[in-house]
Formats: sequence, structure tokens, C-alpha cells
Amino acid sequence: MNDPNLLTLEGVAVGYGRLILLEHLDWSLPRGRFVGLLGANGSGKSTILKTLLGILPPLAGRLTFHPINGRPPVLGYTPQRESLDPVFLLTSLEVVLMAACSRIGPGRPINKAERAWAQECLKETGAADLSSRLFSQLSGGQKQRVLVARALATRPDFLLLDEPIAGIDAAATQAIMDLLRRIHEEQHRTILFVSHDLTTVRHYAEEVIWLHEGRILHGPARELLSREKIEEVLHLEAR
Amino acid sequence: MDTLREIFGPNFLLRNSLYISLLVGLACPLVGMYLILRRLVFMGVALPQVSSCGIALAFALHAGGLIPHIPSAGHTLTDERTLAFIGSTALTLPAILLLSVLTRRTRGSVEGLLGTAYVLAGAWGMLLLAANPMGEHGLLDLLKGQILAITNEDLARTAATFGLAIVVLWIFKKEFLLVSFDREMAVALRKNALLWDSLLFLIIGLAISVAVISVGPLVAFGFLLIPPLTAHLFARNMRQFAVLSAGIGVGAALAGFCLAYRHDLPPGSTQVALLGVLYGLAFAAKQIRSKLTPVGRAS
Repeated sequence: MNDPNLLTLEGVAVGYGRLILLEHLDWSLPRGRFVGLLGANGSGKSTILKTLLGILPPLAGRLTFHPINGRPPVLGYTPQRESLDPVFLLTSLEVVLMAACSRIGPGRPINKAERAWAQECLKETGAADLSSRLFSQLSGGQKQRVLVARALATRPDFLLLDEPIAGIDAAATQAIMDLLRRIHEEQHRTILFVSHDLTTVRHYAEEVIWLHEGRILHGPARELLSREKIEEVLHLEAR
Repeated sequence: MDTLREIFGPNFLLRNSLYISLLVGLACPLVGMYLILRRLVFMGVALPQVSSCGIALAFALHAGGLIPHIPSAGHTLTDERTLAFIGSTALTLPAILLLSVLTRRTRGSVEGLLGTAYVLAGAWGMLLLAANPMGEHGLLDLLKGQILAITNEDLARTAATFGLAIVVLWIFKKEFLLVSFDREMAVALRKNALLWDSLLFLIIGLAISVAVISVGPLVAFGFLLIPPLTAHLFARNMRQFAVLSAGIGVGAALAGFCLAYRHDLPPGSTQVALLGVLYGLAFAAKQIRSKLTPVGRAS
């Protein structure tokens, strides 16, 4: 029987090398939740995300992904757009096709079925018309749609997005977040997105992990991001 | 046309030199593409120098009796090239692996690291050459890239190595592109990014070692970087990038060889100078084209 939780952290510490940024992380993430990982710049949001993805090893504690039907969950990831170098002359379709590496063995060519699936994912994110355009020449919002399509193309159980709305305008922010909400509602996928935008997290996330001055607050968005709670956490009443 | 007919004629004495030029023109740009994509242009400068240092080291050890005589049908030139191949490969492959690890760990100071590797390899190469009693003879020619004295064995070895490099780059292109473009995604997909990085750098190192023995560090560097830099100005996707890079490399190798033969010039330097002219013209054309293109509205 499948565990109701997708992942569990027990006394986990995250950081780079010997530098611990956050420690004593103890929480479980139930399946099918839409979670916002909120915090100011430098609070350790991306470090947690990279630790969950296996890019950084946990510096202490235990991080467990619970199997789904006897196999480890598939992770879909969208990095920060700026981390992808524009020197690569890759079309949007080629970027999405990278997801096929999870299913197609080394040295084997990408088949027609994978191409069709990549096109389907681009269509799903409203980026079908961008498939033949160079990824490096797209706007911030367009790039984000393509990266979400790539993450979906891995057929993920857990979708992790690093700052999906950073540096894009209000209209594009709403479009991206509406897209993620639709994916969550229609496909029942577990989604964790990193953001420093409190308003967006409050509006879209069901559950919040809030990193603030070394503290880690975890709870339903409605409670944790209520006006009273925000004032309490930010000590606004004292100003 | 007469020159072309002559150099492709069955009795042309320097045909091995021509073939090796064309091989370098074809393979080096395809390898160099990854140096451009991974923003490791300085590695393209440092590694040929490290390779030269490896050649000098192998000859110094041989002169000191630390490397035994290598029998190869009593052919002195082949003996030298086998020794050079061993020295070049033995130093270049560990160097590229070490540099790739260090460049990943030392964020922001890649140029300094590669610059240091370049000057140290150059200095040690010269010191080893000076300390070697037979240094002034064939060794200096090898380090300069003695393109005119290519044996059939050299040609076969170069063709086999470049062939292997091109085949591996082609077969595993989706894995190499994934780890080069988005290493974090590769790790998230549970790919062994370190393994793929290592394989890519081994192929680059092997190709550079052979290119340096065949044509010398200057020409190897020229063909590794200038054709892909030129192609990148106009290519619209990765396939065009590869085809244009290799096309420019082969074209410049052939045209440069013809020019050098016709005017009695050193072929390697002529080819690199020609690549430089092509890059300059392409850059100017690109600038003019972008100035003439009307300003558009983003869709």
C-alpha cells in the first residue's frame, strides 16, 4: 500500500559544503498538495529545493521519498530561467525533449512517440506555437511555459519549480500560476514552488513552508498567511 | 583549380598532410563546439599547451632512460610520434578531468585557473625541451606541428581517434547536451552527470592530444575554436551549428592548404590566418545585417 506522504524529512540540515543554511527540518509532504516554499532572498529556499532533487546532499538527517507502486517517485523540475545559458541553440521542442532522457537509454535516439508527447506537453502549457523557436530568444513568461512543459514531459509524480514567477510581469505571473493550479487540479500532481512573493503564494498555495530569519513555519496557507499571523511573524505591530 | 587537381592527384607527395588537415578541419570544430557551449574557450587554449608539455615530458623521460625504446618497424619518425602520443595523452586526459572538476568548484575564477595551467604548461614545456639533449631536433618540429612529415601510420591513428570522437559525440549527443545545458535537470532525472561529464571531457582531451601531435598547439587551438565561433553567429539550431562548424573547418583547411602550397607558406599558420579572416568577415556581416534589420515588436 502506498504511503499517504510523498516525502519525509527527519532532522535534515541543508547547505553548501560545510556551511549549514537551515537545520532541524522535520516535515512530511502529503501527496497531491500544492505547496509554496516562501522566503526572502538568501533564506535557503533554493537550497532546500536542490536538496530535495538530489543536486545537493543533505548535511544531516534523513530525507525519504516514499515509493509509489513500488518505484521511487519521478521528479519534474523547472530551474530558474537565468541559470540556462543562451549560448545553446536549442529550440523549445528540443528543450522539452530533454525530459525523454529519463525513459530512453543512453545512445538511443528519441522516437516519434516521445516527440508527440513533448508537443502535447507544449500544447498543455499553451506553448505549442513556440516549439520551433529558439529557447534563448523567448520572453521570461514564454520560457517558463516551455520549462513547465519539460517538467510535465518527464511524467512526474512531484513537480518542483524554482522561482517560476521571478522577473516576469503581472499578466505572465497570473498565467503561469493559473497553469500550475490547473495542472494540480486536473492531474492531481504534487507541486512545490519556490517564491519570495507572499501575495502569490497566499493566493495560489494550499500549504506553505515559510522560511523567515532561520525559522521554518509550516501549515495551511489560509492560516499561516492570514493578516494576523503575518504581522506576528514580521513583528509589524512593533513598528 | 589547377592546384586542387594537383593536390588531389594520385602522385601528390604531401597527400597525407592534406588528409590530416582535412581531418583536423572536420573533427576539431565538432569537439570545440562543446568548449564554446560550456564557456570553456580558455580550456581550448590551455589544453593544447598541456598536450605539448606532455610531449616534451615524454621525450625528456625517454632521453633520461625512464621510458624504454618503443619498437615500431624501425621507423624513427613513427617512434617519435608514438612517444609523443603517449606523452600528450598521458598529460592531457588527467589535466582535462582535473580542470573540469576545478572549474566547477572554483566559481568565478575559471579564467585564472586555465590561464595558470596555460603558462605553467608552456614554461615546463620549454624547460623540458631545454634540458633534453636531443630537444632541438625532431622534438621542436613536433611541438610546432610538423604537418609535412605525416606517415600512413600517423594518418591512420589520427583518423581512428577523430572517428571515435565524432561517433561518440554523435551517439551520446542527447546525454552530452543535457548535462551541458542543465546539469541540475540531469541529476533530477537520476542521470550520472559526473560520468557523462567525464566521458565528454575524455573525448575532448583525446581529440586535442591527437590534434596537437598532428598539427601543433596553435593550429589545434585555431580549429577547435574559430570555426564554431564563426558558425555560432549564423546557426539557428544545434544541427546547423555542427554542420556549419565542420563545414567552415574543412573549407578553411582545404583553402589554407592550397594557398600555402601555391605560395610556399607554412600550411598550419595559413589555415589559422584564413580562419581569422573568415571570422572577421562573418562578424562584420552579422553586425551589418543586424543594423539593417528593422526593429520588430516582441510577440
